[in-house]
Amino acid sequence: MNPLLEVHDIHTYIGQFHILQGVSLTVPEGSVTALLGRNGAGKTTTLKSILGLTPPRSGKIIFAGREIQGLRPYEIASLGIGYVPEHRAIFTNLTVEENLRIAERRKGELKRKADFIFSLFPDLKKLYKLPAGNLSGGQQQMLAIARALVPDNRLLLIDEPSEGLAPLLVRELMSAIRQLSSEVTILLVDQNFQMTSSLATYYTLIDDGRLISSGLMSELLKEPETVRRYLGAVV
Amino acid sequence: MKAYREALASFLIILGIIILVYWNFGVSKATATLLSGLTLASLYFLLGAGLSLIFGLMDVLNFAHGVIFMIGAYIGYTFFGNPRLILNTLPLFLALSAGVAAGTLLNQFFSKQNVAGGQNRVLSLLLVSIGLVTLWWGLRGFPLRPLVAFEPTTPGGAIPTALAQEPLARMASRLGWMVLSGLLLSLGPSFWRKGKEKPVVIYRHISYILGLTAAAFLILVERNFLEKFLLSLSVDLRFLLAMVAAVVVGAILGALIEGYFIRPFYGRPIAQIVLTLGLMFVGGELVKFIWGKEGRAPMSPPSLFAVSCISPNIFAWFRERCSSIYIVGRAFPSYRLFIIFIGLLMFVVITLLLRYTRLGMIIRAGVQDSEMVEALGINVRRVFTIVFAIGSALAALGGVVAAPFVGVYPDMGGIFQLQAFIAVVIGGMGNYAGTAVGALILGLARAFGDTLVTTGFTFPGMAQAWKASPAIARASIVLVMALVLLVRPSGIFGKKR
Repeated sequence: MNPLLEVHDIHTYIGQFHILQGVSLTVPEGSVTALLGRNGAGKTTTLKSILGLTPPRSGKIIFAGREIQGLRPYEIASLGIGYVPEHRAIFTNLTVEENLRIAERRKGELKRKADFIFSLFPDLKKLYKLPAGNLSGGQQQMLAIARALVPDNRLLLIDEPSEGLAPLLVRELMSAIRQLSSEVTILLVDQNFQMTSSLATYYTLIDDGRLISSGLMSELLKEPETVRRYLGAVV
Repeated sequence: MKAYREALASFLIILGIIILVYWNFGVSKATATLLSGLTLASLYFLLGAGLSLIFGLMDVLNFAHGVIFMIGAYIGYTFFGNPRLILNTLPLFLALSAGVAAGTLLNQFFSKQNVAGGQNRVLSLLLVSIGLVTLWWGLRGFPLRPLVAFEPTTPGGAIPTALAQEPLARMASRLGWMVLSGLLLSLGPSFWRKGKEKPVVIYRHISYILGLTAAAFLILVERNFLEKFLLSLSVDLRFLLAMVAAVVVGAILGALIEGYFIRPFYGRPIAQIVLTLGLMFVGGELVKFIWGKEGRAPMSPPSLFAVSCISPNIFAWFRERCSSIYIVGRAFPSYRLFIIFIGLLMFVVITLLLRYTRLGMIIRAGVQDSEMVEALGINVRRVFTIVFAIGSALAALGGVVAAPFVGVYPDMGGIFQLQAFIAVVIGGMGNYAGTAVGALILGLARAFGDTLVTTGFTFPGMAQAWKASPAIARASIVLVMALVLLVRPSGIFGKKR
């Protein structure tokens, strides 16, 4: 178990608010790790801190053996981190094709990955030339994930993919993420505990910007009291 | 579907107005008015396109844009009429930039050797003040007035003597001071704050320094030859070169403004507005300082548009190159058609750039969500600089193209900028196509407003023409803006924010 990403005791401020007050986590290579916590616990801020979008004031972040805190977001992303943000953030005034093409870091990447992406999300093939604004919520989510798959990323940060999706679509999404996890390491944030607990091998639980616990997901499932207390979910 | 219906409705309204106008003024007068409107629209567009791109991508209201337009006009005017001024000042700027490059390199060397140990505010202030004194010493007594006043070169005129220039040795010592001053001014601020320096590529930097210094000396030594060469070129070619010079200066100024002034203030709109307003005033005063308070008459247009005759139609013009062309029975200055052409050409070029290039795709995506673009691994800051440079180059092009039409004067930046802002607002802030439409509406409104004053308008069923007062013509632009914003508060193509 080789850690691909290590976050050591980061503190992040947004304006004057001390949002992350010492979060640490480890993402082992080749697995799905779930970042758990209730609304406002600091999950999204943690992802943004890793990417440098809300740079941490102190602490250390190591990706693939290299310290990345303090680098600009585009430099961090170029090291091989794909970001699937909350609310998708696809470019609605670009076509589906352009949404994928813009993610290319080298020429020809999209061509190489197209078949893999279409096998994962067959819908996108039909919609290829359409403006992405015409897509449904579920299709937009798939596009957002597909966009992160175009370059050769080693790690995907996926934030709230199931938000606002119908149960049938959530199941489709889960199978896509499960398929993906054999190819790329994933750090997953989602409110749907059933989904995260079935996908993830490891977990990190945070609350109020602080680390509560981390380890194997199977062990967390043996502590229904913790799950109920911090996530309000029933195992 | 709703937007489609609205677009159709506004199109029909505009069409109706145009038909009414044609019916009233008669075809020839209405067409002439239409073309005048298009000329203005073209200039508004050249200025507004940059404003719109910059606002759309970076959320920066750039009040310094009009200054770039004006500087473009002045640079073009000077290059066209008085290359001597350029040939004597350009080496100074080149030497200064060589000094800045040398300072950056030296700074890298210092931070590696840990000389001065990072932060040292006293040293920083000291270096900057010595740099400023050096700058003043280097520029002291520079014969700017005689060089500016020197306007020898009416097309075909004799090449004048070299009286206004300083001897070479004196200029060479100035270059030395400029290099030193640039070095101190770039080295000084780096001691203000202790920070990680981005490593620079040493060989590339050395080649910058050598290249800039060599260029400065070459231009200086060969200034008489270059002047003779430029003056011996055909007037058309010189005009083309003047356009290129203005565009290059505009792009460089834009990149510098973005890099040094705007960049530290992203996400702080109030600071940005105050800053660009300040730049607007400083730029305006600078232009007055260099070229004088009083404006200049419109510069003579290139000879392509200068033969005093009237071509019967546009095809004959290609042979005869007359200053005017008959268009449906009325003579129209051919140079204004050239302005319309440039505006259209730039509209097409920028549209193609946005539609079909990777840069254009990144700009369109960045207008929507620049943070996400950066998260994809794209250096958005560099795109910001490029867009700022492109927008400023367009503004400078507008300025140089406007110079033979309206002349150059120190208020032109502010006046045209106001119109361009209104065009951007009408079209919908940050919407590129909207800006083109806004400029079109504005130019036409202005031209028809003017015609209303001189000719008047006969409403159907009225016996006598109603004539507007000149005040209404001037207010027509604002009236149009008020009307548009009443119906669509965020502009014609604007999205609700």
